[in-house]
Amino acid sequence: MNIRFISLILILMLILLSGNVNAIAYCSLRDPVSQIAQLYPQKTNQLSIVKAVDDNIRSQVQFALPRNDLHFSELGQHTLYIAMFGKESLGYVHVRSEQSDWGLVEIVWAIDKDLRIRDFVFQRCRSPKKKIAEEGGFKNIFIGKNYQELKTLLSDDGVTAKKDVLIIAQSAPELANVVLRCALKTLLLTDILWGEELEKL
Amino acid sequence: MKFFFTALLMIAIAPCHADFTQNLRWSLDASARLNQNEALENTSRIYALGLDTHKVFTLSKGDIGYGVGQVYYTKLSNHIPVPFLFTSKDDSEFIIREAHVNYTAGPNWLPNIRLGHFTLPFGLEESIDTNGRLLDYYHGKNLGTKLDWGFGFNKVLSQIEYSVSYTLGGKNKAKSVDGSYAITGRIGSLSHLDFVIGLSFFEGKIDGISRKRLALDWQYYWGTWGFLGELALGENNKQLQGGAKEKYSLFELNKTSINEQFKLYGQFIIRDRENKPSADTLVNIGFSYQFNTQLELSISGGKQINGPSMAKKQQLARVQIRVRY
Repeated sequence: MNIRFISLILILMLILLSGNVNAIAYCSLRDPVSQIAQLYPQKTNQLSIVKAVDDNIRSQVQFALPRNDLHFSELGQHTLYIAMFGKESLGYVHVRSEQSDWGLVEIVWAIDKDLRIRDFVFQRCRSPKKKIAEEGGFKNIFIGKNYQELKTLLSDDGVTAKKDVLIIAQSAPELANVVLRCALKTLLLTDILWGEELEKL
Repeated sequence: MKFFFTALLMIAIAPCHADFTQNLRWSLDASARLNQNEALENTSRIYALGLDTHKVFTLSKGDIGYGVGQVYYTKLSNHIPVPFLFTSKDDSEFIIREAHVNYTAGPNWLPNIRLGHFTLPFGLEESIDTNGRLLDYYHGKNLGTKLDWGFGFNKVLSQIEYSVSYTLGGKNKAKSVDGSYAITGRIGSLSHLDFVIGLSFFEGKIDGISRKRLALDWQYYWGTWGFLGELALGENNKQLQGGAKEKYSLFELNKTSINEQFKLYGQFIIRDRENKPSADTLVNIGFSYQFNTQLELSISGGKQINGPSMAKKQQLARVQIRVRY
């Protein structure tokens, strides 16, 4: 038993010295193959790039988007998926969670190669207004916009959308605020964490 | 047989071996569990320290699949009854939990192919991972084992998902023991939706007991509330004692805080066996609190609310601290 225990400690020490460790090893997209196909029907495969969201990245988000934070489950290792058609990149897919009154809302974002929102679907949303948020009128608030353009939709409090945006969101203003915050964090993190790799593609 | 599995695993990951750390996620997972078993008047502890890994195998043109590896050094302290992997109440062992690869790069019409040691695709456990948690859906008790070595096919389609497997029935051993085997499968609606329903089947022989099961499971979530259930019918057949029909029902009501740090659940379980004078009825209540990404505290209590008058009813309280780094 002692030899086993010492062996285990030695293995763990070697692993610790070899690189970063991560609090949680899990996949945010439940099934990347089928869910990416929903957003990019013509894709033939996907290519994953895993990166760590750490406290330094969290601080950068807090600096760029004051009064915003990342949920604790958003720290750790995360994956950006590149939707592929053969060897050609069609765009990117990233899933992020945002806290709401109905628990965590998980949104799967399709991002084009200019880092603009191309489309989105809910992986999990238990709001009774979910159906409104799946309609074209609501989605068009966000589709086609980049980080800077989305930021102009934020009101002065930094966490809610401006009144004219909420009017378009009809009877789902709370969900519009959640989706806007999630979209901003998604585009910001995509640029900070994966920007270099994406430029090389 | 172990060599066969190892060789296949190596062939599967060989093209990506040159850069093994790419897309590799891993964490150290340590837990200490205290159990107070009133029926046996016994206090025991279980300590576990392990490595939890997830690796996406990627080539230049895209992903070809992923692998999951969970290896734990587990130490018992005064634990009775002695679990099947251990030889005494104070034993310690290296235990493999999940250890499998799933090939996902086939054409759309072809299912993914899973190979290794994995959780049998049956009932609620198929979409809710209970490894290392106090929360349990009694997979092992129902089927004879929770995890087994073998291969399987799985796929998520636009409206449904399915998973079927053939495993060797050796549980932690990558071989068939005395003719053991297990054929398991589940087909259900998409498991990330608010309402999930699934049908499962099982036929196998494990530890000399032939089992057949057919089960219905569901999950319904409304806001931060969840209502889950599993109903299973079947038969156990022991060589000397003959066959006996089995019925199993589990109902769970759970509540999660909006930031998901706090989770509370209550379970009501009825297990009815032919040739037994009455069904066993159990109630479990538990909660967990996630302090941050690393630290989680869980407490659960279970009590049998009926049972034979002569025997002591099951009554188990457990506390667990789990740290992932």
